[in-house]
Amino acid sequence: MDLEKLFTARLYAARARPYLATALFALHPVESRYVPTMAVDRHWRCYVSPAFVARTPVEELASVWVHEVSHLLRDHHGRSDRVARQQELTGRGERLRMNIAADFEINDDVYGDGLAWPDGAVQPKMLGLREGELMEDYLRQFRLGPYMQDLVWLDCGSGADGLEREWDLGPEGANGLSDHEREAVRFRVAQGINAHPGNVPKGWRRWAEEAFHPPQPWRELLGTAIRSAVSGPGVGEDYTYGRPPRRSAGLPGVILPSLRRRPPRISVVIDTSASVSDAELGSALLEVAAIVRAVGGRRDLVSVLSCDAAARVAQPLCRAEGMTLVGGGGTDLRAGIAKALRASPRPNVIVVLTDGQTPWPRERPASRMVVGLFSRPKRSYESDPDYVPDTPPSWARTVEIG
Amino acid sequence: MLSSVHASRLEVAGDLLSLLRDTTTEPRTDTQLEALTLAVAADLPVLLWGEPGIGKTAALQQLAEALDLPLTTVIASVHEPSDFSGLPVVGDDPAAQGVPMAPPDWAVRLARGGRGLLFLDELSTAPPAVQAALLRLVLERRVGALRLPAGVRIVAAANPRSSAADGWELSPPLANRFVHLQWRHDHDVVVRGLGGTWPRASLPWLDPERLPEAVTFARRAVCGLLTARPDLVHRLPNNEAHRGGPWPSPRSWEMALCLTAFATAADASKDALSMLVRGTVGDGPGLELLAAMDRMDLPDPEALLADPATAELPQRGDLRQAVLDGVVAAVRKRPEKERWDAAWALLVRALETGAPDLVVVPASTLAALRRPDWKVPAAIERLAGVVSLGRKADEVAARVAG
Repeated sequence: MDLEKLFTARLYAARARPYLATALFALHPVESRYVPTMAVDRHWRCYVSPAFVARTPVEELASVWVHEVSHLLRDHHGRSDRVARQQELTGRGERLRMNIAADFEINDDVYGDGLAWPDGAVQPKMLGLREGELMEDYLRQFRLGPYMQDLVWLDCGSGADGLEREWDLGPEGANGLSDHEREAVRFRVAQGINAHPGNVPKGWRRWAEEAFHPPQPWRELLGTAIRSAVSGPGVGEDYTYGRPPRRSAGLPGVILPSLRRRPPRISVVIDTSASVSDAELGSALLEVAAIVRAVGGRRDLVSVLSCDAAARVAQPLCRAEGMTLVGGGGTDLRAGIAKALRASPRPNVIVVLTDGQTPWPRERPASRMVVGLFSRPKRSYESDPDYVPDTPPSWARTVEIG
Repeated sequence: MLSSVHASRLEVAGDLLSLLRDTTTEPRTDTQLEALTLAVAADLPVLLWGEPGIGKTAALQQLAEALDLPLTTVIASVHEPSDFSGLPVVGDDPAAQGVPMAPPDWAVRLARGGRGLLFLDELSTAPPAVQAALLRLVLERRVGALRLPAGVRIVAAANPRSSAADGWELSPPLANRFVHLQWRHDHDVVVRGLGGTWPRASLPWLDPERLPEAVTFARRAVCGLLTARPDLVHRLPNNEAHRGGPWPSPRSWEMALCLTAFATAADASKDALSMLVRGTVGDGPGLELLAAMDRMDLPDPEALLADPATAELPQRGDLRQAVLDGVVAAVRKRPEKERWDAAWALLVRALETGAPDLVVVPASTLAALRRPDWKVPAAIERLAGVVSLGRKADEVAARVAG
């Protein structure tokens, strides 16, 4: 095998993408006559076909190096396994589909800017799909068909789709990286990108941000925040020594605690300054209703306060969910919160759904507060360039939605 | 068979049951169990996070066997707070004698035995007051008026926030006191186990000879990292996704130091140490500590320069390049003819034992360090190939740019 050509390509790849250098050098090349081109396994070995090296120009080889290491950095084998297990996808065809989807995810922004397009690299637009999506998204959007005959030879190895190949050396083979070592390499690459995000393409920046802190689904977080607010001490179910329970009679001299159930009262305050989409608001409000039901709040204990813009969405939803919609409020969120607090009896928990473009109460209200914040990019049409909307106060639990 | 004719139906059922229970074990590395054993040996409060029914209890049984401790399992959700904080028993003259808090029988038995493994399961499905009492038990080892002896080790288990029904979560200050271990089931293990073969993990064993060395190593690793990165010492989680999980503070760093020492003395796998450290100070700081330890394992540049002929360079490309860069940096810091020559000898050695592209950058940097009166060493001849590799990469760059 022309090792000099192969290593020249790696050297060039590392120069063109300095932030991937650690990962490129951590790959261990293994000569193999079984692989069609180049393929990786999950232990960070790179199987290389001598014939492929001989017929491919150095600049394209460099791009293939970057392509293969991208599969490993983005954990495509682990993600393929998870998808396969969740959706019960079996067989080589499905794994080929995963390989193609993974290639789509990589190829839309790794080339260019010094890296040549390798011959035969697949792109999402070949199937009429949008660029910039994740492997899991692509996987839902296409099936294998006769028009994809050209792609069947595509094989990036078990490192790309999780399916063991006959040429794989396996976990016991030489020069593999252990779990911990793989994590360490991925961490160093992510750290390098986060430290100098300047020239790094968007896809890699997103990867680096999420590699070790995957974004949590907002539904789960909002659910936890509301559930913990309604089941905290003093709300909902708890023990009390207030009145001896009946079974105390059997144990004279011993005071047993008793369980008291106090269903929580919840007010949902919706603030929309016309920038929250109906779909977002609807899904958030439905989520709140579902959580409230799940924690045992009776429907009559949930009320919704809304301003006019939101009433259009909130009203039918509330009617369907059996919640009471209490008249419209102002656009100032403080008025809505004050109104919710004036209700008698006072709600235990106030859930605020807002895009954050609002002043907040200075004082901590007597009720717990959970803020569902629709994340918005900074708006540019503010007349005052120094205008910064207040962030939700620290005493409220804040969950970013969407 | 005659006997089966006379056997009662229940006896036959018993036979079938014993056939079903007749399983064998096979040795298998189990990183989770290894990590758990180390944390329990280090007597730190452990919190296992895992979905219900994935074999946490079975793992605890194995752990108790390995540590030769009797296992007491307490399902938190079927108890009352008084079972953990003690029942108030009113005596003859409460004003004079006070109201003693009587501990439950299992606690008394544990205290009398002096040693044991207490497993508090389903922490997250217990009502809030029970959880509060339990946390005191885990952290302060107190049950009512009774203090559990040092020979009792305590492990708690909870369901992840997403599957905890009533929004149970730890506040950040409480979370900071635990070693958080994520417990996952291994598909292969489950399938093989149902087929009759369960894994038998070999548990780590502390080497009495290595104790002082382990302490020195752990202190050097943690102090070295925190000296270089002071902002890692304390970082309160500020977003909703990281609430209730591990985060760095002087307290959790002290635990990380302790765990590192235990893992070193037991010669535990890096994967187990990674689980422990990340479960104590969080993912980011934990990975940084592990990376710092990896760098400590690398050979010292000065030692390599002193004796280049027998130098052992790491096999992994990225580490090897880090070492060579370190050697060149050491020469730059104190440029002397002998050191410069020794560095060339090292580069030649690197070229003979590994990939050539790793040598290109250190070689050109080293060449630039040359003083006018230094004669070019003969070894450079053998690096000619490397020079051409670098030149070819330059040509590729020119072609791609042109």
